[in-house]
Amino acid sequence: MKNVVIGQYVPGQSFLYRMDARSKLLALIILMATAFIVQNFYHMLGMVILVGFILVVGGLSITRIVRGLRPVLILLLFTFTFQMLFVNTGDLLYTTDLTLSLYNLPIMLAIIAFWMFTKKYVKFRFLYLLLTIFGILALLASFAPGDIISSSRVQIYTDGVLGAFFIMMRLIIIVTLSTILTLSTKPTDLNLGLERLLKPLSIIKINAEEIAMIISIALRYIPTLLDEANKIMLAQASRGVDFKEGKFRDKIMQIISLLVPMFIISFKRSDELANAMEARNFVPGRPRTRLHILKWNYVDTLVIVFVTIVLAFSIVLRVVF
Amino acid sequence: MGIQFKDVSYGYQSIEGGLFQAIKDINVSIESTGEFITLIGETGSGKSTMVQHMNALITPQTGSVEIFGVKLHKGMKKDVKLNPLRQKVGLVFQFPEYQLFEETVLKDIIFGPKNFGVSEEDAVKRAKEVIKLVGLDERYLDRSPFNLSGGEKKRVSIAGILAMEPDILILDEPTSGLDPKGRDRLLDLFMDIHHKTNKTIIVITHDMNTVYNYASRVLVLNKGSLVYDGLPNELFSDENILNWNLDLPDLLSLQKHLEKTYKKKLSKTPISTEDLLRLVKEELL
Repeated sequence: MKNVVIGQYVPGQSFLYRMDARSKLLALIILMATAFIVQNFYHMLGMVILVGFILVVGGLSITRIVRGLRPVLILLLFTFTFQMLFVNTGDLLYTTDLTLSLYNLPIMLAIIAFWMFTKKYVKFRFLYLLLTIFGILALLASFAPGDIISSSRVQIYTDGVLGAFFIMMRLIIIVTLSTILTLSTKPTDLNLGLERLLKPLSIIKINAEEIAMIISIALRYIPTLLDEANKIMLAQASRGVDFKEGKFRDKIMQIISLLVPMFIISFKRSDELANAMEARNFVPGRPRTRLHILKWNYVDTLVIVFVTIVLAFSIVLRVVF
Repeated sequence: MGIQFKDVSYGYQSIEGGLFQAIKDINVSIESTGEFITLIGETGSGKSTMVQHMNALITPQTGSVEIFGVKLHKGMKKDVKLNPLRQKVGLVFQFPEYQLFEETVLKDIIFGPKNFGVSEEDAVKRAKEVIKLVGLDERYLDRSPFNLSGGEKKRVSIAGILAMEPDILILDEPTSGLDPKGRDRLLDLFMDIHHKTNKTIIVITHDMNTVYNYASRVLVLNKGSLVYDGLPNELFSDENILNWNLDLPDLLSLQKHLEKTYKKKLSKTPISTEDLLRLVKEELL
């Protein structure tokens, strides 16, 4: 476990890297808000182009951004399908009957069985699943001789398509922007920036510094804990725990044999950490000097001014149109 | 039988994307009976990686390891059962905290044997035997393993492995963090087990006294390579000490000091305190 990287920071040289964590966070929030204010197809397109522009100028690899989008793929597909199927305002675009009959039912089952057996050998499994589902739907829509078992009507309206488009675009923009932030900012800087931005909350008795301290300690200990988990797994494996196999009951025992030492070691470690911090005169809530100091440059001012103009523009456009 | 290493290498991915070669081209053969081996080397020299191979916890990236007739190598068949090997070769990790998790010492000791298919009844019987073997008594069996002292935890973790009745026992720095008396008692315990059962015992250690006073064979790892495999009393030549950053065992540094004071060399290196005493009486006084 020596190759653990926390966050997904990738070193680089572009203006994104010269920016202050605070201005990056602020710009992110403003741009996200803009993505929700925009409600016209062409304006949304402009928004997408803007994000693409940031990507290109920022010199970040597109593959990493796509990798960041992958976890939300399922969510995107869900919202897309639901929007398409259940919104029924606007003009009717397309309608068809999905019919399950005595003859196409076995064909459908055969397709599913075929998919189950062949999915192991296909490289893009998700795409294959989508293709299979689409194939079944096409079958139900076009070929239904024999006695009808059940039938339902599918209607797609223009508003559904537009709504699906907007939701997808917004999600993609939000995820892409936050990926840009995490790719170009070290977790420690991000944490420091967050702390500074949350400082005004001290008026309502929320101590941003403590929250930031908790986050940074948690980040620091992720690799340590992973390393420890690995060692415990080895120690238990040498006592005959087979983490790869076993029935459900065995699995529970395996997890317990891993978690109990994890907890005990973590508690001990936190105790020791608290002592070490106190030994170096750390007092919660007392002002501290910093090793890393955030610097606000002219780039930051420029970017903030720019995104504020974008926001104002989008508000104006929404009010006018 | 026993364990055979053939040209074994193993590396870890480092953060920069490079490969850190933990062990390189290790060739060694270990019998299943009659050996008391110490494995020494600086931190990061690959000792732990090597013993994890012996326990089939990791498989070699190049070369092969043969454990009791089962050959492990890269790209071997997936249906090779590794678990029985882990019963035959018992590995005690350095920190007992990594292994203790049950509510009572008894449950923790029988955890290993039960995993290897020993009935609960037999496992409890074994637990009662091994707890005495490691120098604790049966009252400990009902206690929580987390309320024990460091030395007691260590003993319980060793008992947990002994109860599996392995053919070869491997201990990763068993005496670290113990006081001298506790250390000696534990080492005497291993020696006792070794004499009673004739099982091979392998001890990773930084303590040269352990090497000199207990071992019948010593393996030295230096930067991932096996540089010495032989008798302990031939290991401590001036050249070896310099090359591999070794300490002198107490007995030999005493000999050196005496030789310097009396400006006279002893005819042979002593193997025990009595031996040194006799040599000093005969040759120096």
